[in-house]
Amino acid sequence: MQTVINVEQLSKSYGNLLAIDKISLSVKRGTVFGLLGANGAGKSTTIECILGTKTADSGRVTVLGCNPKRDRKNLFQNVGVQFQECDYQPEIKVSELCEETACLYKNPSDWKGLCTKFGIGDKIQNAVKSLSGGERQRLFIVLALIPNPQLVFLDELTTGLDAKARRDVWKILSDLKSKGLTIFLTSHFMDEVETLCDEICILKQGRIVFQGTVEQAKTASGYNRFEDAYLAISGEEVCGE
Amino acid sequence: MKSFGTLYKNELKLNIRNMNMAIFAIIMPLVVLIILGFIYGTKPAADGVVYTFLEQSIGALCTISICASGLMGLPLVVSEYRERKVLKRFQVTPVSPVKLLLVEFSIYILYCLVSLITLILTSMLIWNVRITGSLLAFLGSWILTMVSTLSIGMMVGGVAKNSKSASVIACLLYFPMLIFSGATLPIEVMPMTMQKIVSVFPLTQGIQLMKTTFLGLPTGNIWFPIVTMVAVTVVCISVAVKFFKWE
Repeated sequence: MQTVINVEQLSKSYGNLLAIDKISLSVKRGTVFGLLGANGAGKSTTIECILGTKTADSGRVTVLGCNPKRDRKNLFQNVGVQFQECDYQPEIKVSELCEETACLYKNPSDWKGLCTKFGIGDKIQNAVKSLSGGERQRLFIVLALIPNPQLVFLDELTTGLDAKARRDVWKILSDLKSKGLTIFLTSHFMDEVETLCDEICILKQGRIVFQGTVEQAKTASGYNRFEDAYLAISGEEVCGE
Repeated sequence: MKSFGTLYKNELKLNIRNMNMAIFAIIMPLVVLIILGFIYGTKPAADGVVYTFLEQSIGALCTISICASGLMGLPLVVSEYRERKVLKRFQVTPVSPVKLLLVEFSIYILYCLVSLITLILTSMLIWNVRITGSLLAFLGSWILTMVSTLSIGMMVGGVAKNSKSASVIACLLYFPMLIFSGATLPIEVMPMTMQKIVSVFPLTQGIQLMKTTFLGLPTGNIWFPIVTMVAVTVVCISVAVKFFKWE
């Protein structure tokens, strides 16, 4: 299978703080890759260094065969991104934000259809700031899918969504994956990771402490529930257990 | 170029929804014109000259919208987008920074143009203002003044750390230029030393050039203002593009 993201020995520090330390990973086409870890473990820094929005101190990154900093314009024709702290122009409407995003791509998908699919089809005339947290989150997933991407980055994709909406998003992403989309996500919900991810990577204080499948994580840690396994591996077991 | 059109349309809508620029760049100059019109009417600018006070002031009035656009609107919108991480969202799309800056730049050109048209039409219809000089030369000076002032704004928006410092820099540029460049106070009433100091503002040069071309007065050294303004434009735009930061 073709490798879509390849990261070798990526390191980045902010002042004296080492945010990520010699991270290496690779993601294959048509799979879902989950980057896990506690808050501050280095997930967002890793994503930003992969995307080229932050400059790594050392290491090599290729995404779809491109150098993300040098080939930015070509690369982002085929890559969709949803950032954790995503923002928008004050006063902008859903339709305007979608239209403005769609116009930047050569072959954008139909954003109205995407909005309907994600359950915000009746909100397109509303101001983005008037949407509820969950609706806004779904809008940002829509924005990431507008380019018709080969690869999509979703940083904490279902934060703020209710149970039903989460299931709906999983279903849509699974469908897209079966059509060949590669997904790179971070999440704090282990049920989500278990359902969606083919491969996971757990970070702890900027270092990779586990890389493999969900099943392998369970075996390695000796726990039957994935959440327990995750907590054990990331060293965050609840005291007294 | 389809993306330019769509971005332009949507960003313009957002800008108008905000109303600040409609007030400062279009309504305010018109109000000043109307006040001057009621005070001076069709009176000549001074004893023994053929042109009226209003005809002499049109160039300066046009720069109110230019100042509001270039020294308040443009730097604030660019730095606000950076601070709110709107630019960061654009960074992970194929759009080039030059295109984004150009979209915002052209939105403010439109404000200046609307203001120019409303000022000239109003003053012509009510107070019988006539362009005695050359319309083409006047438009040329107007474009030069506008582009050089907007490029200052683009540079401020491009290099300011956040919208707070952009707003401070914008104010530091906006008010002295508005007050001392001849946009509100006629430059002729200032002491000689002060006239020398303010003559380095591109806006001062622009106003003088617009005034001379509008009235058809003998143009002294026209190359000095032209070279000053072109130089300011080239330097500011290069700095804005070279040091552009998404975040």
